Amino acid sequence: MTVAVPTSQRFDLLDPAEVSRLGGIEIVAEGVVEGFLTGLHRSPFRGFSVEFTEHRPYQPGDEPRYLDWKILARADRLFVKQFEQETNLRAMLLVDASRSMAWHGAEGRLTKRAYADRLAAALALILLRQRDATGLVTFDEAVRQAIPARVKVGQWGRLVRGLLDTPDGRGTAAEAALRRLTSLLVRRGLVILISDLLFDRDLALTALRYLRHRGHQVIVYHVMDPAELDLGGPPEVRFRDLESPASVVVRPRELARAYGETVRREIAAWRATCRRHGIAYHHVTTDLPFGLALRLLT
Amino acid sequence: MSFLHPLALAGLAAAAIPALLHLLERRVPPELPFPAVRYLADAERRSARRLRLRHLLLLVLRTALIVAIVLAAARPLVPSRGTTGTLHPPTALVVILDNSPSSGVVVDGRPLLDRLKLAAHAALARAAAGDRLWLVLADGVARAGSRDALVAAVDSAHPDSRRLAVVAATARAARLVEAEPVPGREVHLVSDLQRTALEGTADAPRDVRVLALAPADAAPPNRGIGMLQPTDGGLAVAVVGTPGTPPGPLTVRLRGRPVARAIGAPGTTVTVSLSAPGPGWWAGDVELEADELRADDARPFVWRVAPPARVATGADAGPFLTAAIGVLRDAGRLAAGSDVSFGERPGPGASVLFPPADPALLGQANRALAARGVTARFAAPGTAGPIAAPGLPGLAGVSVARRYRFSGVDSAAVLATVNGEPWLVRVGNVVLFGSRLDTAWTALPAAPGFVPFVDALANRIVRGEADVHEAEGAARVEFVVAGADTTGATVFRVDPRESDLTPARAAMARRALGAELARDADFAAAAFAGPRLAEVSGLLLVAALLLAAAELGVATLTR
Repeated sequence: MTVAVPTSQRFDLLDPAEVSRLGGIEIVAEGVVEGFLTGLHRSPFRGFSVEFTEHRPYQPGDEPRYLDWKILARADRLFVKQFEQETNLRAMLLVDASRSMAWHGAEGRLTKRAYADRLAAALALILLRQRDATGLVTFDEAVRQAIPARVKVGQWGRLVRGLLDTPDGRGTAAEAALRRLTSLLVRRGLVILISDLLFDRDLALTALRYLRHRGHQVIVYHVMDPAELDLGGPPEVRFRDLESPASVVVRPRELARAYGETVRREIAAWRATCRRHGIAYHHVTTDLPFGLALRLLT
Repeated sequence: MSFLHPLALAGLAAAAIPALLHLLERRVPPELPFPAVRYLADAERRSARRLRLRHLLLLVLRTALIVAIVLAAARPLVPSRGTTGTLHPPTALVVILDNSPSSGVVVDGRPLLDRLKLAAHAALARAAAGDRLWLVLADGVARAGSRDALVAAVDSAHPDSRRLAVVAATARAARLVEAEPVPGREVHLVSDLQRTALEGTADAPRDVRVLALAPADAAPPNRGIGMLQPTDGGLAVAVVGTPGTPPGPLTVRLRGRPVARAIGAPGTTVTVSLSAPGPGWWAGDVELEADELRADDARPFVWRVAPPARVATGADAGPFLTAAIGVLRDAGRLAAGSDVSFGERPGPGASVLFPPADPALLGQANRALAARGVTARFAAPGTAGPIAAPGLPGLAGVSVARRYRFSGVDSAAVLATVNGEPWLVRVGNVVLFGSRLDTAWTALPAAPGFVPFVDALANRIVRGEADVHEAEGAARVEFVVAGADTTGATVFRVDPRESDLTPARAAMARRALGAELARDADFAAAAFAGPRLAEVSGLLLVAALLLAAAELGVATLTR
């Protein structure tokens, strides 16, 4: 199946909902990755998963962070360091498939789960293209899919099917998934958690800290719908939780400000806690173009 | 605090609307799925106190807003310090405008009534919308009405021919306002306060303020015709007026023709000689030279000229009646003859009958009445009691020890009663007594008025003629006729007391009326002397605006 996308437009910078209407998850992911890499001209993961090989003279456009400052100090000449890719990087994508992820705030907008699936597929494609072994874990109250990290041909297809075959779950228990992950990641690797983080923060952080302790690189994508940032709705409404019997009757106009402050406080708390433990934290909303979400990793 | 429109306070019930809406609006809200309920619950927990305070504040502000608007609509009045207040408490006010005949006197080239009307006008002009107003004129009728209607009534008032009993009118007005459920109760008396008008005391209730226009310092000179009494060969003219007024000429006219002239001063009686005209009813008048009060300068009179009745008395007439008739014959008031017979049996002409002394003869007397065609009959004995006779003042109160009741008597025929039962009746030209004219039956023969009564009985009553009555009103004469015969007359004239324009002293006025006195210039300012009030509906509207702004602010800024 071919995708009719104007050459002047890049999938990675379009509205995620519009992109998703153009095709299935594979097409979207491929389009996003193509556009993303075209604009980036380099692997977002180069640098942390490769080893140094040689120097070459600096050329305009090279990243200043790859300048060799020792040569510059000794010889007053500009050289950049070049690296050789490792083939034994093992990356695991953790995708939250709980019921709260299967929600969107407005018609036509992607659900958080759909956004997470496409983002995970794009990430997997990037990793596999640079020969990194990539696996997948989907979870809700329990681990639903667990695909070990591989680099062989067809791995991306298996990962995509793993995403597609995971139904919307019920509650969320990230801690269990993360503990299961430790058994799948024997060697140091990369862990990318894509979730709305609507679970117990302390328990989840305990597991993430354990991963960090085992030497894994941990990245957290906190996915939210824009409607979760700004409360709206009828004058008075009973909001029912998707994962529990809990409900609350509120007047959105009265509570909007306090709710917004609470959400911002929660995001700030996640960000601060993750930074403290060396975990990369990125907050994305489901209307953020996939390319911009991927660029957060560079 | 009082209100100009207290009925508007019923709108305070609307203050319950915000609370009712709050309660009634507790419907089942729509339910929506939402993943971040934990954030919502946390936000609500953190904001619960603020939201409760906000709801309470909004409820209070909205209720206060409605209360402020309703109170403003009721136009509240609050006491005001000093004289800054422009209003007074709602007041029940009776303005008594004394437009009796004396108010027509011209003082300093200006009718006194104009001065009184100005004062009444000024008092009414200060009345407010919440006041209850009445106007009393010389007729004594309390007219309720709006300020404008009563001002119009004051403007259209003219000197009346009736005298106003000032003290009694003040007492009635005080009772009227006392019954009103308002904070202020006042009676404003606008009168010339003649000395003769202040008889008795008004005894106004303590919570009723009586304000009277202060009496004048000087009495205008005035002469008026008081009583007129035709006598044999003359006319007695009583001249009344303000003491000290010099004498003035008067003219007597009979049927429009001047027949005599004289000079009289107030307090004197002038007897004018008149030659007796022929028998009949003669109308005339006496007129004084014009002075400052024209209402009492002329007065009509009626002169009944008739020959003395010729009477005959039977042996059963009794000693008292026989003696009285003898006296009247000697005086020329009666003559011997058969025009009128007195006795137990009716005569051929007019008859005055009394019951027989022997009860056994009662049937015989009744048969004689029947033979004469008289429907009335002597009946069973009645109880003792005093005589009541509105048309015969000489009989009133005289006791009756024995009497017979009457049967077959129309109420129109009754001239006097005892214990409510007919005692003296006239049927045709027959007059019937229920008692014999003897002191064993009634005290009438021993009463001072007995002889004049017998005179009237023989010369007038038995003929069916009425007395010449006097009544208050515009000067004129009205005759009473029965068929082709004139049987009586009423002479209308102003009350002679109106002629004495001497004002009462201030102390006398205060004592009789229990009133505060105020001069013309101070009268309007002295009215409504209760605490000065200021209307605060404007402030309440400002407060309502502030409350509305506060409500808007709380509703929007505290979201």
